[in-house]
Amino acid sequence: MFSDKPIRRVLRGCLAAGLLAAGVFAPGYQAAADETCNSPFMSNLIKGQEDYVYVWTLGVEGIGDGSDKLVTIDVNPASNLYGQVVHSLSVSRRGEAHHMGFTEDRRYLWAGGLDDSRIYIFDVYTNPRAPQLVRTLEGLPGQTGLVGPHTFYAMPGRMLVQFLSNSNDHGGVTGMAVFTNKGDLVRTYAMPTTNGGDGYGYDIGINPGKNVLLTSSFAGWNNYMMDLGKLVQDPEAMKRFGNTMVLWDLKAVAPKQVFQVPGAPLEIRWSLNEGDNWAVVATALTSKIWLIKQGANGEWQAKDVATIGDPSKIPLPVDISITANGKGLWVNTFMDGKTRYFDLSDPENPKQTYEKATGKQVNMVSQSWDGQRVYITSSLLANWDKKGENDEQFLRAFRWDGNELTPLFEVDFYKERLGRAHHMKFGTDAIRAAYEDLDDTLAARE
Amino acid sequence: MKIWTTRSPRASNRWGVVVAALFAATLFAEVAAAHEAPKVPADFDPPAPGTYRLERIMQAPDGRIVDANSKRGQLAAYTHGKVTLLSLMYTACSDETGCPLAFYTIDMIKRDLEKSKAARGRVQVVSLSFDPEHDTPEVMRAYGGKHVKGGSPVPWHFLTAASKRELAPMLDGFGQDVSKAAKGQADKELVHVLKLFLIDKEGWVREIYSTSYLIPQVVVNDIKTLLIEDGVKVN
Repeated sequence: MFSDKPIRRVLRGCLAAGLLAAGVFAPGYQAAADETCNSPFMSNLIKGQEDYVYVWTLGVEGIGDGSDKLVTIDVNPASNLYGQVVHSLSVSRRGEAHHMGFTEDRRYLWAGGLDDSRIYIFDVYTNPRAPQLVRTLEGLPGQTGLVGPHTFYAMPGRMLVQFLSNSNDHGGVTGMAVFTNKGDLVRTYAMPTTNGGDGYGYDIGINPGKNVLLTSSFAGWNNYMMDLGKLVQDPEAMKRFGNTMVLWDLKAVAPKQVFQVPGAPLEIRWSLNEGDNWAVVATALTSKIWLIKQGANGEWQAKDVATIGDPSKIPLPVDISITANGKGLWVNTFMDGKTRYFDLSDPENPKQTYEKATGKQVNMVSQSWDGQRVYITSSLLANWDKKGENDEQFLRAFRWDGNELTPLFEVDFYKERLGRAHHMKFGTDAIRAAYEDLDDTLAARE
Repeated sequence: MKIWTTRSPRASNRWGVVVAALFAATLFAEVAAAHEAPKVPADFDPPAPGTYRLERIMQAPDGRIVDANSKRGQLAAYTHGKVTLLSLMYTACSDETGCPLAFYTIDMIKRDLEKSKAARGRVQVVSLSFDPEHDTPEVMRAYGGKHVKGGSPVPWHFLTAASKRELAPMLDGFGQDVSKAAKGQADKELVHVLKLFLIDKEGWVREIYSTSYLIPQVVVNDIKTLLIEDGVKVN
């Protein structure tokens, strides 16, 4: 069995003079938090103060230009524009903006539309404050048979994209597709429908040290584009949610094991603590935390380890964010608008230690690497968001001192004429400085 | 299935090689370098050669290069006709998870393949510098050391470019980022995601490795998978 620890010791000894001082870009270990939820293949993790939060925002008819847009918010307290929208890039159509993901070098940000199945590739390093759209991938349902690009996961030199649906019946049977970093399709992979697999998909989580790829499952276009009020009254539609997770051989991209995880298991978070080899997921409909862990005999298992709120009230856990040390987990529940913190010191027995109502509806939760800043947005899906005065749309920033979430600032996405605030990713000016300086450096050398 | 382990008796003999490779890699180091990709311990048995498929990810780019003997040529001559493991690097790199790690790993892989009848004459290794100003042919020759002399059934070629202008299309084609280190670090540091490319004999990139997944046994199995695909009997 190959272990790199002795190598690292020797390398450290031989190269002590060359080791990096901690900088804006510091090396990470294992899967990297929202800043901690990025692909383990991703470089340039922001372990200091983030400069920007990018918000992939759903367009709303009659608000602004009504189109989906990538919104940049200045979040550096040292800036005189702290807490303000400093850029908004419309894609000039409405396609159910949802999730985003960086390429491995953090130069490009991929963002998808669950309705129109478009993928947008933004350059976020030339000018991190004002990303540029460099390519739009269209016609993917025709090319791949897949609908609703959801998770964008960096792999070396390419992006692995998990879709939610298919172009045949718009149900939940779906697949993944691999693209080059430039956006060229390499191939597709079907989610397993045998050996207990339901064929559904949602999120991706990779543990390269174990050669393991985990996937979770949600629902197809027919469900996620349906009005939530109608959906919950439709017993047949309510049966069409994913109830499985799949463990794949990463190298071969081949399913190895299917876990029965009832109630739509969503975001997958591997522990970032070196030596840990477990992941957690929250189930939306059954309001549980599940642990996926390798047992002493080498077999992987999935087990229900905690309850989130009162499942009978369907609080609808929609996003989780694990701390960099793997000891804590934020959980956002959409229906009751609460942000909960679980102590994960014993991943077999997570304990809720804190909760706070952070909005009338809350969806995504992202934390800084040091865990001191927590960002929350409000939109789940255009047709699932609450109505009337409960339809708040915001990004709210909080400071976390280990005991209390203290508000830092808020951006009202309706007041700013932006739309529905969904997925967040962090940006930094340091990456621009690095690439700009490189041109000067190399030019000077010539 | 053979799995390398640095705790095995075989591995203990490698430490001389490790140190030698590191000295080779750092002999010309003037600056520190920063690679950001995390490195994780590998704790699994890689799938056996030929039991999985490697996708045709993209065509390897072409461009003008200069070899370690100052002879100009095309990169395509080094990415066709054999299975090629290509590393983008620079000799001044001294980051523990960067180019020295690649050098060491390639050396391990090369020595293993040299023992394989199937690989002899069918596999080659290429190190291409993205720092043409510093990495002249003379520097690359010294960096390559004994490997430059040739005669190996698995040759290792050390290439550079004549200028940034000639280098740029190749970096773009491979999707290789290179940036200067963040402020506060030495002004000559170059930051990049460590990448090695496995290229089939038709010039298709079939796998890309970064620090998180640079596992010698995986790379060897991938190379053998391509050989099997070519109809070569692999033992």
